[in-house]
Amino acid sequence: MRVHVESSRAIPLVGFTVAFGVGGAHDPAGKEGLARTAMRMLRRGGGGLDGKGVEQAVDRLGAEIGADASMSTVTVSGEVLARNAAALCELVGGLLARPAFEPVELSKLVRESQAELVEARDNDRGLASRALRRALFLGHPYARRVAGGTASLASLERDDVAGWHAAHLAANNAWITVYGDVDEAGGRELAARLVAGLPAGAPTPDPVVDPARRPGRELVFVDKPERTQAQLSIGTLGTRGDDDDHHALIVANTAFGGTFTARLMAEVRGKRGWSYGASSRLSLDRHREAWSMWTAPGEADAPACLALQLELLERLVADGLTDEEVAFAKSYLARSHVFEIDTAEKRAHRELDAAVLGLPAGYHASYLSRIGEVDAGRANAALRARLSPEDLVVAVVGTRARQLAPITAAIPRLARSAVVPHDLE
Amino acid sequence: MTAVPSHLEGRVAFVEAHAFGSGEPVQRYRLANGLSVLVLVDREAPVFSYQTWFAVGSRHEREGKTGLAHLFEHLMFNETERLPYGAFDRKLEEAGAESNAATWVDWTYYYENLPKDSLALATELESERMARLVLEEPQVAREKEVVMNERRMRVDDDVDGSVSELLYSTVFREHGYSWPTIGWMKDIEGFTAADCAEFYATYYAPNNATVVVVGDVDVAELLTLVAERYGALPAAALPAEDVRPEPPQTEPRHVEAHKPTETERLVVAYRGPALGDHDHAALSVVNDVLFAGRASRLFRALVQDGELAVDCRGWVSTFRDPGLYEISVTARPGVRAEALLEVLDRELSRIVEEPPTDDELERVKAKLELGALSGLQTVAGKAEQIGFWSTLTGDPSDAFRRLAAVRRLRADDLRRAARRYLTPSSRTVIFVRPSGEEPSGDDEETDA
Repeated sequence: MRVHVESSRAIPLVGFTVAFGVGGAHDPAGKEGLARTAMRMLRRGGGGLDGKGVEQAVDRLGAEIGADASMSTVTVSGEVLARNAAALCELVGGLLARPAFEPVELSKLVRESQAELVEARDNDRGLASRALRRALFLGHPYARRVAGGTASLASLERDDVAGWHAAHLAANNAWITVYGDVDEAGGRELAARLVAGLPAGAPTPDPVVDPARRPGRELVFVDKPERTQAQLSIGTLGTRGDDDDHHALIVANTAFGGTFTARLMAEVRGKRGWSYGASSRLSLDRHREAWSMWTAPGEADAPACLALQLELLERLVADGLTDEEVAFAKSYLARSHVFEIDTAEKRAHRELDAAVLGLPAGYHASYLSRIGEVDAGRANAALRARLSPEDLVVAVVGTRARQLAPITAAIPRLARSAVVPHDLE
Repeated sequence: MTAVPSHLEGRVAFVEAHAFGSGEPVQRYRLANGLSVLVLVDREAPVFSYQTWFAVGSRHEREGKTGLAHLFEHLMFNETERLPYGAFDRKLEEAGAESNAATWVDWTYYYENLPKDSLALATELESERMARLVLEEPQVAREKEVVMNERRMRVDDDVDGSVSELLYSTVFREHGYSWPTIGWMKDIEGFTAADCAEFYATYYAPNNATVVVVGDVDVAELLTLVAERYGALPAAALPAEDVRPEPPQTEPRHVEAHKPTETERLVVAYRGPALGDHDHAALSVVNDVLFAGRASRLFRALVQDGELAVDCRGWVSTFRDPGLYEISVTARPGVRAEALLEVLDRELSRIVEEPPTDDELERVKAKLELGALSGLQTVAGKAEQIGFWSTLTGDPSDAFRRLAAVRRLRADDLRRAARRYLTPSSRTVIFVRPSGEEPSGDDEETDA
């Protein structure tokens, strides 16, 4: 059990997160959604309480709890009035150690999750993001949806969930952070309560490998009726926390699309007014994740906006950033860093993320000095090494009849394209 | 209290201290031109939040010019007499700022969260755009384009956004709460630089603003900077508000809307109390008994046990004038909105007839205490509470008075509030159906 305590007497609240080193990427084929479903089942009965009893007990303590999954981890988290911290940790410890996994509740949760998949189709930006990941990580676990699909959820039975729980929720597979109005000793005591009933176990092996770059430019057009604008999500492979050029790529991405005045925003919104938002981001996980950029132009501007974004990316990689742009990005990252650590909760989760994502030792402690070492030469070398303007996916959510042809024409050297319905899972 | 430095006497006056929970009080100062300055020193982290709250929102617009208050949320980051386009944001980002703005029916506010050594920069930039914004055709035209795209994203291509707009325009027929804060598309298209200049001159003045500063600041230094930067700005002759009170709703209203979605939705609204109304806290707790958390009555009845809905929410609007008690429910595939309404009506009748149990009341109170404290973990969260309450009720202490009022509530108070507001005649119901199911013709409204 690895425990981190972050104390602050500022507000009489205590929070915690227990993270286990297993996530949606590790779900068996055909059982996608298993990790998330198992975690959500914890709230539906355990420690001698039924689901309603759990929720009432949490409310009575002046608390909130959450149980969820990401690609590489699953978590149980809570926040509670400080005077009730021990009671909440006792309650959550009971849920972790002795979940009921009632078959009737599992069936209800599966139906609820399936309904949520349908509701999610109303979120156009989410549809674009999923289309991008399906194509960018084709054949790799990162292409999956952590929530699973209608069919894989339907296949889940009590034995699947109970077996998953027994295999992965163990003290030696857990990282715990406790933060807020509690001292170091008190925090460790709360952490012990959280996992008191779990077996010692062992860390879950991680069989996932880095995704491979898929050559060529690919368009995935998500056809949805009655759209007045297009959601454009463009991506290629990005970074790992232990890459030598990791910090250089962070600086480069910040200069290109990481702030309101960065190149991408200045060109798309500032000069042309084509989209309310325009940004780029480097995702981070245990293995190489995506670099992506997003805009949402009106239907008439979408082809030109897409062409501009591709051109900006080509110029970025070919010509690089200026010394001034790099200096600005470094200043922004260094000075805004204080907002990454201005509350106990942020400091606690920063440490937790570093642990569960397997970031190099001292990642956060050396972050500012590593950013400070980046110059334009290093930033531009990282761009050339990591971002490929020729091997990328363009995911578009729009109305096919009006938008497909001009969108297709806006992508030079397009190697592959597909039109998919917006309800594709 | 931090005394006003002697060199500022006559320029800055201490007004009063407002209790703010169990910690340091909020100090209120005022400049001769009417600018209010609220300060809360908080040295938990070497940062501060600098917020400027203007007492202007979409309610102050008029038909044909809707969305003007929100357009300013964009224009205020643009060119000023001393700063070319882009320089405002560039200076903030270079200093490491988090910055943005928000507009709603009663207010607009701008904020930047900065490292503690940037107080001079914050006062320089905020005073500059309060008085010296450049509002000419190119600047206005560019931001109109951006706002039209924002509207497409938040409203035209978003089911919840478009239904919310429909709800407010159906309920309110006189009051300025009738139109959307982002504005009607045709109004946005029609804005001119002259419209903007007039609005700016009318409402963006020190005597219509409150500067809220929370964080690791030296109060004497802050007051000196504020006096230097804002002291010479002229006050405006603020117009008497031409508000048209919304007459009582005496008949239920019903609308059928068709949207590109796969599942039906139910939206129900009752006429609600103003934020300052005595019953606002009680009705909010009624709402929490019904909707807050997975143990709440309607979450169990509609989502968890009934398996009719994927989501349900309720909210008592926090507006200066009487607003709405809004309820929205998203159906599961194949479930009709009428089935949702049947369950909702059953539970609403129950809460009118049977008061919540002591256990329900205690659970809701504990959750509200948690929520109130959670919002105060950052300097920005504290500043937002101070600015919001000061702008809406005139007193930032109301944030905690509200919590105390909630603690005093008894079951009978909740039943009284439910009976007063959950009246069939003041109800509006919207059934949202998937596109393709509609008969010929547009969305239909009836007074049922």
